[in-house]
Amino acid sequence: MYKKPLPTEIRLLLVLLPLMAVLTILSPRFLTLDNLSNVIWSICIIGILSSGAIYPRITGGIDLSLGAVVALTGIIVDMLMNKFGIHWIPAIMMTIVVGALIGLFNGFIVAKIRVPAFVVTMAAKTYLYGVALVVSQGAMLAILEPKPFIQISTGRFLGLPNPIYIMVVLATISQFLLRRTAFGRQVMAVGSNEVAAKLSGVDPDRVRLISYTLSGATSAVGGVVFASLTQQVFAAAASGVELEVMTALVIGGTSAVGGKGSVVGAIIGAIMVAFIINGLNLLNIPAPFHPIVTGVVIIVALIFNQGSIDGFKFGGLLRARKPGSQA
Amino acid sequence: MSSSIDANAKNSGNLLECRSVTKSYSGHVVLDAVDFSVRPGEVHALVGENGAGKSTLIKIVTGATLRDSGDIIYEGKVVPIQHARRDAEELGIAVIYQELSLIPGMTVAQNIFLGKEPLLKGLGLIDGKRMNAMAAELIARYDFPLKPTDLIDTISIAGRQLVEILKALSGKASIMIMDEPTSSLTKTEVELLFRIIATLKAEGISVLYISHRMEEVYALSDRVTVLRDGKLVKVLDKEDISPAEIIRLMIGHKLDETAVQHQLACKDGPVVLEVRGLTSVGKFQDLSFDLHEGEILGIGGLVGSGRTELVRALYGIDSFDTGTIRYLGKPWTPSVRASITHGIGFIPEERRLQGILATQSITRNIGIASLDHIAPRGIVKIREEDRRSVQGIELLNVKPPRPEQFVGNLSGGNQQKVVLAKWLVRDLKLIFIDEPTVGIDIGAKEEIYDHIRKLASSGVSVVLVSSDLPELTRLSDRVLVLRQGKFFKEYKECTLTGEKILRAASGILEDDNV
Repeated sequence: MYKKPLPTEIRLLLVLLPLMAVLTILSPRFLTLDNLSNVIWSICIIGILSSGAIYPRITGGIDLSLGAVVALTGIIVDMLMNKFGIHWIPAIMMTIVVGALIGLFNGFIVAKIRVPAFVVTMAAKTYLYGVALVVSQGAMLAILEPKPFIQISTGRFLGLPNPIYIMVVLATISQFLLRRTAFGRQVMAVGSNEVAAKLSGVDPDRVRLISYTLSGATSAVGGVVFASLTQQVFAAAASGVELEVMTALVIGGTSAVGGKGSVVGAIIGAIMVAFIINGLNLLNIPAPFHPIVTGVVIIVALIFNQGSIDGFKFGGLLRARKPGSQA
Repeated sequence: MSSSIDANAKNSGNLLECRSVTKSYSGHVVLDAVDFSVRPGEVHALVGENGAGKSTLIKIVTGATLRDSGDIIYEGKVVPIQHARRDAEELGIAVIYQELSLIPGMTVAQNIFLGKEPLLKGLGLIDGKRMNAMAAELIARYDFPLKPTDLIDTISIAGRQLVEILKALSGKASIMIMDEPTSSLTKTEVELLFRIIATLKAEGISVLYISHRMEEVYALSDRVTVLRDGKLVKVLDKEDISPAEIIRLMIGHKLDETAVQHQLACKDGPVVLEVRGLTSVGKFQDLSFDLHEGEILGIGGLVGSGRTELVRALYGIDSFDTGTIRYLGKPWTPSVRASITHGIGFIPEERRLQGILATQSITRNIGIASLDHIAPRGIVKIREEDRRSVQGIELLNVKPPRPEQFVGNLSGGNQQKVVLAKWLVRDLKLIFIDEPTVGIDIGAKEEIYDHIRKLASSGVSVVLVSSDLPELTRLSDRVLVLRQGKFFKEYKECTLTGEKILRAASGILEDDNV
């Protein structure tokens, strides 16, 4: 009798597959290896960033600084390797630590000083861009060495580009963390009801600190992959990518008010965002229209996801309060 | 819809008639062929446990939810299935919402006439003077203590409820539905509401009244409809209404007639919690008491007397200024984390705001306080998590018994059971319980009482804070009454009545402690 609603992930696939079919019909170039491998890069970047950015989002916050972190960490990894002559492996490690520390700092301000995450990370986005400008002296730096570093993103393993593996590994870890660990349970609980979580022994501040730290760390991984892929770093690189990540998260069913989310959903969201942007390019739709389409897609995704938990998300704002909710 | 239904409807003499109304949510039947009727000018109470289908029935009548099948006849006309809230309003069905739907920044008059303001002739502008005059006239007619120009923010909850009533009366209202109207009112305000209901009745307006408070139902109603598990149990006429009968019909088995008085028992097992001179400036002063093993210690007092503050401090949510606590014989500095790991639980007073994770499953809600067992090394043992969830659901008879169900979608009683289950699956020694049954129907209440008693008899010590006097007297082995942050009176080994507690809470000393 009781029918379980389809999981968000399956519902997303039911949208994704027709989307791909439509793009295939509309543009003969869509289903070519050349085009698909182009799309794969953006999927990987968005996917890598989403697997960390999902945590602040589920706690009810947001990390808007991740585009700036991508650019800054790209510059840092380049300088560590090419200015200070550090071997690429420790250089990457150090860069990820820097990203994590930036996240930790964001988390600290959000959790301890109780400033809304939107404001904190918006400010971080701004000053990190400034730091990136200072460090890079405003220049666009090309990365030609070391070769193994370049290989990180441009190389292939079993015929597939390396970033796919990086994304799959990070997303898998992230999904495991979210679904199968005490920390994952605590993140969900804090996002759902911070007070109730606290009374049940969860430390919301600690959960927030870790969440933003994770987001910072995956942003640094994104920075490394992006630098290796484009072989150039500059302060404005990847600017605006945070919006694509937030779109992927929203499409993937991560609640904008917290307490709900799926990494698999976010990856499917990343694929959809990448395909939509790619489709707009293929169909020669002028660039100014792209943000319009993205905006509409976010709204549609919100409406689409709203039905899943009646009355606890946007539905609650749209509908009048019902009587008897206390009873 | 056959024409015979129309013909019948006209003859039935009912204002509102529901026939075989059925509704199910994802396969779960919440209303099963329910017949229900309201006569013109009667006060009709709709009672039943949470989950009995009261709210669903009301939602169907007011057009907030669509029924699956069945007929609704209003003033002799068949109401179509596709029936929206606006249609219900046009028919004259008015609802006074529990959570008020007024606009805070606007005046009483502006709220009453919202969307139907009188306009200046020829202009599309609101005639403010006329609107205020009309509001004043309406207020005078019912003799409400309101002014048309009062801002909603500045008037009390009870006052706002009156505005809601006027808003409904300013339109066409032949039936007024009140869902738990007294839950946030003081005693005098309740009396005013009762007078208003009498006035409405005298004007020929039917009142459909939903309440958990038996004495109100008893005092007010001309007829009572009892629902249980989505089915109609019985419709009682005025002469057959008695609280015992209603409760019996609601929960389906005969309750023992519990006396009004309760004999307090003395439990003098080992001391579990020893509190000495506990003070939190501005909240409570110099509180000392011992709590014994398996004892239920009731904390009485008016709202604001420091009861909640005391248990919050003892559990470790808020810090205190001076005083010492010993727990199980050792000095104890409370913190939420330490409390939980050492077998202390806490049930907060505001279920929705502090108790449940609404967007999470029953399993996650029960599991969140037991992560030390479910994920001892950080990785969740799904089997253990599920086992505890099923254990909790079975132990407390949570309905529906689906571990993956979101707790936000459960009824209030079942939500509270989940909050309780969270602690009962743990190895408890002490639990602080603050207002365990607010807004919960009588059946779930009794079940929760049973569990609290069972806990105590298994050796768990309980500190129970409650404003519900019968609850406090029935459950407690001993009662301490707080007044203005200090213990005013202790009741032990005596016969206790709610009245005694209330008198002590209000500062009246009695010399007979018998």
